[in-house]
Amino acid sequence: MPEVRPLVHEELLNPYRHGASLIHRLPAPVKLLGAAVGVLVSVLLPRTAWPAYAGMGAGLLLVALLTSVPLRHLGRRLLIAEPFAVGVALLALLQDHGLQMFLAMLAKSTLCLSCVILLNSTTRFTDLLQVFRRLRVPPLLVVTLALMHRYLFVLFEEMGRLRRARRSRTFTSGRVFAWQLTATVAAQLFVRTSERAERVYAAMCARGWKL
Amino acid sequence: MHIPDGFLDAKTAGISAGMAAMGIGIALHSVRRSFSVRRVPLIGLAAAFVFAAQMLNFPVAGGTSGHLIGAVLVAVLLGPSAAVLAMTAVLIVQCFMFADGGVTALGANIFNMAIVAPGVGYAIYALVRRAAGDSLRSRLLATAFAAWCSTVIAAIVCAGQLAFSGTVTWKVAFPAMAGIHMLIAIGEAVITTLVVAAVARARPELLASRPPTSAPSHYTELTAYGLLVSLGLVVFVAPFASGWPDGLEKVAAALGFEHKAMATAVMAAPLSNYTIPGFRSAVSSTIVAGGVGTLVAFVLAYVLARALTPRGDAAQGRDAGGASPCA
Amino acid sequence: MNALEVHHLGYRYPDGTEALRDVSFSVAEGERVGLIGPNGAGKSTLLLHLNGLLPEHPPPEPAVRVFGTPLAEPNLAAIRVQLGLLFQDPDDQLFCPTVWEDVAFGPQQLGVRGPELSGRVARALAQVGLAHLEERMPHHLSRGEKRRVGLAGLLACEARLLALDEPSSDLDPRGRRELKALLGSLSVAQIIATHDLELVVEICSRVIVLDQGAVVAQGPTVELLNDEALMLAHGLERPHVLRHRHPH
Repeated sequence: MPEVRPLVHEELLNPYRHGASLIHRLPAPVKLLGAAVGVLVSVLLPRTAWPAYAGMGAGLLLVALLTSVPLRHLGRRLLIAEPFAVGVALLALLQDHGLQMFLAMLAKSTLCLSCVILLNSTTRFTDLLQVFRRLRVPPLLVVTLALMHRYLFVLFEEMGRLRRARRSRTFTSGRVFAWQLTATVAAQLFVRTSERAERVYAAMCARGWKL
Repeated sequence: MHIPDGFLDAKTAGISAGMAAMGIGIALHSVRRSFSVRRVPLIGLAAAFVFAAQMLNFPVAGGTSGHLIGAVLVAVLLGPSAAVLAMTAVLIVQCFMFADGGVTALGANIFNMAIVAPGVGYAIYALVRRAAGDSLRSRLLATAFAAWCSTVIAAIVCAGQLAFSGTVTWKVAFPAMAGIHMLIAIGEAVITTLVVAAVARARPELLASRPPTSAPSHYTELTAYGLLVSLGLVVFVAPFASGWPDGLEKVAAALGFEHKAMATAVMAAPLSNYTIPGFRSAVSSTIVAGGVGTLVAFVLAYVLARALTPRGDAAQGRDAGGASPCA
Repeated sequence: MNALEVHHLGYRYPDGTEALRDVSFSVAEGERVGLIGPNGAGKSTLLLHLNGLLPEHPPPEPAVRVFGTPLAEPNLAAIRVQLGLLFQDPDDQLFCPTVWEDVAFGPQQLGVRGPELSGRVARALAQVGLAHLEERMPHHLSRGEKRRVGLAGLLACEARLLALDEPSSDLDPRGRRELKALLGSLSVAQIIATHDLELVVEICSRVIVLDQGAVVAQGPTVELLNDEALMLAHGLERPHVLRHRHPH
């Protein structure tokens, strides 16, 4: 799980998402549907349908090329997301027909991960949110998602500042101390987040917001 | 604990998604009814906070480090339903923007980490608080124990889902998931409690001391989550419980041989035995280990709570603990 | 009719400390008034009172009137259209995922849709000089740009009075110049809470000096800001731009 995390900062500022390729310019609902269908097909394929896996893989590669997002970037994201799938798949090795199961799960999860990575490399989250709104996802959940996405970067920056400030005044080392220090940073971040939430509420009300 | 695509079959994914939708429905209803509208933006920002906090490194050994999941942290700070919504938002963003957790498995992941974890966590937190009182120490005890239990229970449900799908058999999934998470849960409990203690130091009013289960709406809310979680356990775990009557007998016999049972559990969990007598012992050993583990967790939680609130400061919530940096 | 009238406004924090004491002043239509004073004087708190965000429970006799309408519960929505509040931290002000959505937020709450909505957003962004940034996300903007987008959001509501909390703080010199030019070009009434005394001299015709929650002086800008004793007594100082000016 933590393997994906180091990319977060970079992902939030991902420039590739704003590309102008054929795929980028497709409307968000189409891309979302495409990814969903891709995932569903991969999951529903019979376990040993190796030619089908290869076919889908080739198709996805074609789509990837059409997006003109550097393949190296997409590949790197795939590699980072894989380890957990591999980990769980390893559990399958510990039983009958384990190897076949393991390889099938690996193939399926790679195909599915590719679909999702292609989706989010070419679609902005705000466009996905619009799709959710139109699908009548409850407004409370949509506003939560919107605010979360909006303030993710702000909180990351704040957390970075808090950590640097703490570390520059820390002259001790040791794990226990490190845990306490990090927990204090988290607590400070929560307090500031709480206060900001009050101000955001005020700012929303000042422009007429009602749930 | 994020399940990727391809590991759950259609029926499991569908049932989990349905239960997740019910849980989110309960949360939405509850927030609309009893959560102050002033605090609605806080749910979204808390989701961002959880996401950010999950990036923090808690060094363990060598190069590895532990990370926070945060379900119980949000539940303690904001209440169960806000926590459900916040964790749901986190999982949705992780799924679509970071390919963390499969799209078809989103329902299951939401059920496990956004409904079972905060729901069970908050229920245990409330129960322990009720029993132990309102002092900071008892709240920290409740937090630590709730965080441990909820992580393990969520892992068990996850194992159940994998087994129900036929992806990984119960005899492998249960010991592996439960065993590993009993250890991970310790980290979660410690981190969650440290953060709650630090918040209590900085802004005690953010941890309002209103009794959590006094309001009637709270009862309905918790009951609804309880029913939903029980449903999940019934669907995903109970089918495999046919092994348990054997396990329970073993537990009774093993009470006199505790250490042996624990030793077998630790070794058997990641590598299950292939022989038939071995199969039974891996599962039942895990059950025994779980029972013992719960007691141990409670004791450790108490020790932690005491360490963070030395005698005399327990009620006021001030921390004079040795290695703590000034707040 | 004045854009804003405040009569004997008082406020206590929940812990009892007095934040505002018997504050009275007015702002005429189209006028720009500076609200100055030391830190902790109550400037931000005062601004929050102007559109009813404070106090939590509106008093029976409102001390504030906006374009003649008293600040009471049933009028709050209408007043918040006319009085646009710009918060100090642009990250608090811009809470929507994109620039376009944020500027459109206010009008949307008013029920504006379709071509009229797009028109208002486009005009507001053009007025602040950021027409090309519609699809940008807030965390990709500079601080100065965020401030201007925030202003656009208020202009899109067709606000007739702007209340600005430290609009030029933490802007680099260019951002500050652009903001000054922008505020100077707007014809709507403005009340600007700020430490930036140079800005006040340059665009505000009147100032109100607030200290410890009370109005200690109000009057024409140059006259008050030239009063060295007054300035120093209330944690301020005579701005440089006046020191080198020949008296007219």
